Amino acid sequence: MPNRTAVHPELYSPDLADNPSLNGGKCRACGYVFFPPQRYGCESCGAPPEKLEAVQLAGRGTLHSYATVHLYMGKDIEAPFTIGLIVLDDGPAISSTLTNRTDEGLAIGDRMKSVLVAASTDQEGNETVELRFAKAGAGK
Amino acid sequence: MKKNLRDMRPVYVVGIGLHRYQRLSETPYVTLGLTAVRQALADAALEWRSVESAYTGTVLIGMAASRPMLRYLGATGIPMAQVENASASGSTAFRQACIDVASGLTDVSLAVGVDKPGPFAMAPGKARMRDLAGSRLVPFTHFALLAQEYMTRYGVSAQQIGMVAVKNNRNGANNPYAQRQKARTLEEVMAGPAISGSLTRLQCCPIGEGAAAVIVASDDAIAQLGIDRNRAVRVIASVTKTEQIYRGAKNFDAELTRETVEQAYREAGIGPGDLDLMELHDAFTIEELLYVEAMGLCAPGKAAGAIAAGEFDIGGRCAVSASGGLLAMGHPIGPTGAGQIAEITRQLRGEAGVRQQPNAKTGLAHMVGVGAVCVAHILRKGA
Repeated sequence: MPNRTAVHPELYSPDLADNPSLNGGKCRACGYVFFPPQRYGCESCGAPPEKLEAVQLAGRGTLHSYATVHLYMGKDIEAPFTIGLIVLDDGPAISSTLTNRTDEGLAIGDRMKSVLVAASTDQEGNETVELRFAKAGAGK
Repeated sequence: MKKNLRDMRPVYVVGIGLHRYQRLSETPYVTLGLTAVRQALADAALEWRSVESAYTGTVLIGMAASRPMLRYLGATGIPMAQVENASASGSTAFRQACIDVASGLTDVSLAVGVDKPGPFAMAPGKARMRDLAGSRLVPFTHFALLAQEYMTRYGVSAQQIGMVAVKNNRNGANNPYAQRQKARTLEEVMAGPAISGSLTRLQCCPIGEGAAAVIVASDDAIAQLGIDRNRAVRVIASVTKTEQIYRGAKNFDAELTRETVEQAYREAGIGPGDLDLMELHDAFTIEELLYVEAMGLCAPGKAAGAIAAGEFDIGGRCAVSASGGLLAMGHPIGPTGAGQIAEITRQLRGEAGVRQQPNAKTGLAHMVGVGAVCVAHILRKGA
């Protein structure tokens, strides 16, 4: 039975769900909600790690900006690709690779949702999936 | 009782020196740094033995950069330390030198920035959990995102943002210390290789090697060491702050600059209308628009129009990046902030030649660094 693993296992689960949630954090002392999750202490009020709890952040938000990257030396993705700055409905502003390769059809203010896309598959059929964002209501 | 810089002993810039910012070469960092320091000593007509403390702003040279360079000026046993504060390293080295003199610990102190490109390690990656975008989101894309948001919000075009590079390359063409000394048309700026979003190669600063040195002194030193008081420039504010939590998608870069520069205005007892020139952190064209607005030089969304109208040219109401800025003079990292102080000093002395901003009396230097930090200094003509 082939496995699915996440490129960033600490940030989201590789489950089959459409529109997966993200692993965030929340401070029980001041209510600050953040992403990515961490166990150092609250960036807002300074509360110690024991005051921080894991929370699931809905994979929905609004596109605040976008940029198509033309120059990239890494091997994990081929340029051009597009990075979006998304303000999640649950509060944090996050940056994510978008499913669109270019910015065609994107507009600031677009509703966005998370999707899992196949990043790679090995010879045994084990799949690695990566969370990206797509325009809500648009297919992959 | 807390004090700010103006409540302490007056501090003056009395000597400046530079080694040209340039592409990586075989020149040892020691040669780069000594060139700038010797020039600053000659400019102030001071002997090395009069310098009582030294701070070296550097990011890429490696551990213990100061004495292996400064030992060749003669052994005087003075305190020396390296200052690393990302892009603001040179600015922070300058601040430390000012604090030494203002507090009365020294009468003469040196800030020198020196760097050569090379492999380096960055702490933020060691401290943080990975995020979604990871290495796909480098600084040029961070600023491309800010550029797209700005264009959409204010109806500004990519070409209008590109005009920042046209202006700053025009200034750099007249600066013998600049890495890019070639005037560029808007067509050349926009036709260059696309990097990220609307940003093209000439809208991103070059990172090369170089050095910049600044010597600061007290009134006592000026009197006792025969320094020319007419060429001394007073430091009337020194402020540094770090990023806070700005909720939602607020522009962190602009907010940090706004807070830091507002405090510098308060400490100096001036407003944005009093500035005749400024050197700001224009690593990418969009930053100049964001920061001149954050610093109160014009209303939100109006910076592109002000640039088009020549308001920030040499000869305009406030010359922005008369040196060429990071975009044209270059951003060798360690030297950059010290080089800004050198340019403003030259301008306030009336010695900037073809780059001279007429009747320049007050100037501001602004740098930001990852982390995120912001440093602002305000200098005024006349001792």
